[in-house]
Amino acid sequence: MREMIVSELTQATQELIREFARFLPRLMVMLIVVLVGWVIAYLVKWVLRSFLRLIRFDKLSEGAGATQLLNKAALPSSTELVSRFAFWTAWLGFILVGVSALGILGLQEYVTRFFVFLPRLLVALIFLFIGLLAASFFSRAALLWAVNTDMPSPRLLSSAARVLITVFTASAVFEELGLADSTMLLAFAIVLGAVMLGLAIAFGLGGQDLARRFLEARFAHERKEGKEKEDELSPL
Amino acid sequence: MAEESILTDEFLRQLINVGEADILVGVPTYNNAATVGQVVQTIRAGLLKYFPRERAVIINPDGGSRDQTPDLVRGASINDLEATSDLQALRTLHSISAEYPGGASTGAALRTILAAADLLRVSACAVVSPESTTLEPEWIERLLRPVYQGNFDFVTPLYRRHKFDGLLMRNLVYPMTRAFYGKRVREPYASEFAFSGPLGSHFLAQEIWVHEVGRSGTEIALTISAITGGFRLAQTFLGVKPHLDARSADLVAAMRQTVGALFWSLEPNFSLWSSSHDSQPVPTLGTAPEVTLEPLRVNRKRLYEMFRSGVAELEPVLKSILPPPTLSELQRIAALGEADFCYGDELWARTVYEFAASYHKAVISRDHIVQALAPLYRGRAFTFLVENREASGEEVEQNIENFCLTCERLKPSLVELWNGKK
Amino acid sequence: MPLSQDALWYKDAIIYQVHVRTFYDTNGDGIGDFRGLAQKLDYLQELGVNAVWLMPFFPSPLRDDGYDIADYNSVHPSYGSLDDFKTFLQAAHERGIRVIVEMVLNHTSDQHPWFQESRSSRENPRRDWYVWSDTDTKYQGVRIIFVDTELSNWARDPVSKSYYWHRFFSHQPDLNYDDPAVREEMWKVMKFWLDLGVDGFRLDAVPYLVEREGTSCENLPETHAVLKEFRAKLDREYPGKMLLAEANQWPADLRAYFGEGDEFHMAFHFPLMPRMFMGLKLEDRKPITEILKQTPQIPPSCQWTLFLRNHDELTLEMVTDMERDYMYDQYARDKGMRINLGIRRRLAPLLDNDRRRIELMNGMLMSLPGTPIIYYGDEIGMGDNIYLGDRNGVRTPMQWEGGWNGGFSTADPESLYSPLMLNPVYGYQAVNVQSQKRFDHSLLSWMKRLLKVRKSTPVFGRGSIEFLYPANHRILAYVRQLEKESILVVNNLSNSAQAVELDLRPFKGNILIEMFGRNIFPRVGDLPYLLTMGPYQFYWFRLRRI
Repeated sequence: MREMIVSELTQATQELIREFARFLPRLMVMLIVVLVGWVIAYLVKWVLRSFLRLIRFDKLSEGAGATQLLNKAALPSSTELVSRFAFWTAWLGFILVGVSALGILGLQEYVTRFFVFLPRLLVALIFLFIGLLAASFFSRAALLWAVNTDMPSPRLLSSAARVLITVFTASAVFEELGLADSTMLLAFAIVLGAVMLGLAIAFGLGGQDLARRFLEARFAHERKEGKEKEDELSPL
Repeated sequence: MAEESILTDEFLRQLINVGEADILVGVPTYNNAATVGQVVQTIRAGLLKYFPRERAVIINPDGGSRDQTPDLVRGASINDLEATSDLQALRTLHSISAEYPGGASTGAALRTILAAADLLRVSACAVVSPESTTLEPEWIERLLRPVYQGNFDFVTPLYRRHKFDGLLMRNLVYPMTRAFYGKRVREPYASEFAFSGPLGSHFLAQEIWVHEVGRSGTEIALTISAITGGFRLAQTFLGVKPHLDARSADLVAAMRQTVGALFWSLEPNFSLWSSSHDSQPVPTLGTAPEVTLEPLRVNRKRLYEMFRSGVAELEPVLKSILPPPTLSELQRIAALGEADFCYGDELWARTVYEFAASYHKAVISRDHIVQALAPLYRGRAFTFLVENREASGEEVEQNIENFCLTCERLKPSLVELWNGKK
Repeated sequence: MPLSQDALWYKDAIIYQVHVRTFYDTNGDGIGDFRGLAQKLDYLQELGVNAVWLMPFFPSPLRDDGYDIADYNSVHPSYGSLDDFKTFLQAAHERGIRVIVEMVLNHTSDQHPWFQESRSSRENPRRDWYVWSDTDTKYQGVRIIFVDTELSNWARDPVSKSYYWHRFFSHQPDLNYDDPAVREEMWKVMKFWLDLGVDGFRLDAVPYLVEREGTSCENLPETHAVLKEFRAKLDREYPGKMLLAEANQWPADLRAYFGEGDEFHMAFHFPLMPRMFMGLKLEDRKPITEILKQTPQIPPSCQWTLFLRNHDELTLEMVTDMERDYMYDQYARDKGMRINLGIRRRLAPLLDNDRRRIELMNGMLMSLPGTPIIYYGDEIGMGDNIYLGDRNGVRTPMQWEGGWNGGFSTADPESLYSPLMLNPVYGYQAVNVQSQKRFDHSLLSWMKRLLKVRKSTPVFGRGSIEFLYPANHRILAYVRQLEKESILVVNNLSNSAQAVELDLRPFKGNILIEMFGRNIFPRVGDLPYLLTMGPYQFYWFRLRRI
């Protein structure tokens, strides 16, 4: 009995050791892959950065207006951004390759799924970036337009534009990430409905004045024509 | 990349028939049926009266009018000798009209005129607005004669204006163009002007055509390129400037065409304007411009209110454009009552310079920068109207001159801002 | 070559204008004569003309180049005898060349016996043959024609101590056509020459025959009545003879001289000529099309007479002030080239001796509707001498060869009626008939070909004209049509090559045959017919449906 236990234990231990012995090289391989991957990723980053500097990528992106956008999003310079992104992508790739080298069942599947998911994540990030920029741009455009056409509550209009575009951006991002199931849709609908209601109330209250002015101008046009002419000054 | 052709085949076919000419008058139109007939007739009268021997042609690039504009231009060419018995034509006077591609834009129309002038090898070319209802035959002579005689390359107009007319020109465009480029051109954004053949070719070779300024605000870009190219400038007194229908005038559009184009031009011409300090007068032909003073009731209050609400509402935008001292100064005057309000020369000049610098650095969309200047300009216009309420013509002129000198004096600050970090 | 029997012969004529004095001198007195003219008829026949218009050759004090006639029924002794004239006339007719004689109706010389009688006393039966007045205030406001020399239309006669009327020089008193005796006498004069066999008269200064108070004394109905009377007699007694009017008037006023085909057969188209020169200088067809547009229709039996240059100045009376200034500036910068309201120069110097322009102008002369007149010497490109007085600069001797006196006369050069052209460009050694005859490319040889082509069809003389208005204004294009025959004429008035698109749709299906080389040009289709033209080039195309 004792012997049996010993032999079982020994066998188990031996099994464990054998398993470990079998696993160790894979671990070593993984570590080597991750390490080498880091070196390669670093090299890639360095080469890319040098190359981008050589071709004055910053100037180019400045010309294209990208630098200003990055500034506004509090991000580093475009050269830095691109090279860092390359570094992380490369290294992450190596880490995942290394992990898969461990040969752990199921993990490989997750790694594969991650690689499939990566482009969608990237696109979603770009969507988010563009969306946030657009929200800022259009809210400013709305503000300027409202101010220059003497609309009431320009800030409200501007914020409404920002919220609307942000919500749309969010929905697009979720859609891209494949998270747009019915709950998300519902949540979105609720938010949109709330915004619309808010806008309607806001316009209703703030627009009273506007509507009155519009109607006055429309129906009392002839009476006021002479006066209006004196009122308005040609800007040129 | 193949060079795009400026002239359509139809235009070219008509130009072949015109052949080499001495004088070209361009009338860019877009839905101007109400006035264009009269304008073209007057141009014809001017050409027949003052340039009977020269080979002349009237060219009408049309932006795709849906009214009768092109027909009216062509129709004006049918009667030669018969209608105006006191004016006889020695020669055939062509009036050609064709649509240019790409939709209505002043820049495209001007470029068509320039290309036609270049192709026909004209010595002198004038551009006349189809809305110039006060046009007289003499204008044609006053514009073209100095160029045709070979004395000048670029002739800009001087008008008789009311002291409260042309506010943007007096408070921004003229003083700033003068301060930047050192030439006292009173109407750098003119609806009537004339240029010589060589200058026309120079214009055509400019890079402006691929930019937005090659579509709108082109007039001021051409003026600037005539100045920076070292061409011989002159101003000629024409007459009464037609008063545009105020309701159709859009301040933001006007700002884009003038201030936008002016700011844009600073970029490529930095070395030129940053090194010059004062300004030189431009020879003036004919009588000096007059200022008319008949009383005009103006609703200043609206300007004041729009300035106040603009400063308040645009605070986040202005923050990114203006340095804090200027912004707080603006906020201070915005808090003043209507009676005490004053947007002084120096503050206004500094504001514009800081806008120019922010435009250069593109801190936010450049178009937004130009738009954000509009409410501030309204405040300045208010102050101008108040200050000159009782002023005589001479006093108004003196006030404008003083402001110009202020701009010239403050110019070094722009150079600093330009190069400095934000 | 006998004369054609066609009563409308003048429509097909090409007239050569010559003064007998200037052409050829056979007796060595330095003045051309009828024997000389007769000798040179072969030259004219070879050139291709079929009519000669002789300028006045009557006895005269020659104070106005023979337009001051002292005897209507004789020949000036310097030019030969009446028999010499008859010989010449017969020789011309034998060669198919008709002879048109100058007849000055309006006035005589003050040396004419009629005037001597008229001035001798107020009771003289011929007193009334001239227009007399005790004052110089009648007919106020009538324009003076020779503005450079005359101050008034009245001149005081010291013999009869009264004033006589003269529209031209003061030594040319006007005849009084209100007197039936004058009309009868002048008809007798015309009969005299018609009986000798002349083929027509060029009647000088016809608008001025009759005077009436309160009028311009020009183109009066009474004047037309006098002329119609002459024409009626001519038709009755001498059918087939022709009357040509010299009336320097606007086309609308000229129209009246054709009547209803019962006054003149032909009249000069004065306003067209300066406009041809103007169109050429402006490189613009407008002046030409404009004046032809204003030209009224004339009765079918009538014909315009066209010319480029003649013995007078290039008259600028029938142009506007602006046009006249332009013409002076372009063609007569030197004041010496101007006289009265005109330019006293010949064709070649006016056109800067540019062969292409000379050819183009002659091409238009031969293809526009009317009977063309060639002024002597212009067919070889003779020059002018503006340093000779009055209009004598364009009346120098014909240049026949490079030898003694240019072959004109055997007399001493000093004794010629006028000095010859001597300069190296236009002088007789450079420009003369003999040398031009030898070369095919000479102007003379070219003119012969031009006249031959012109005479190859009656369309040019008799056909209708319709202008094409291609958008290119430097191109003057027209279609001449007579019955089924059509000719397209395209002239490039400019100094540079031109492209022109002609709307020939009415002639769709026709082919074009160039008339000088008889080459075929492409058939006319639906598209505008594209032609490219060299500087000052012109084309004559026969349109044929084959």
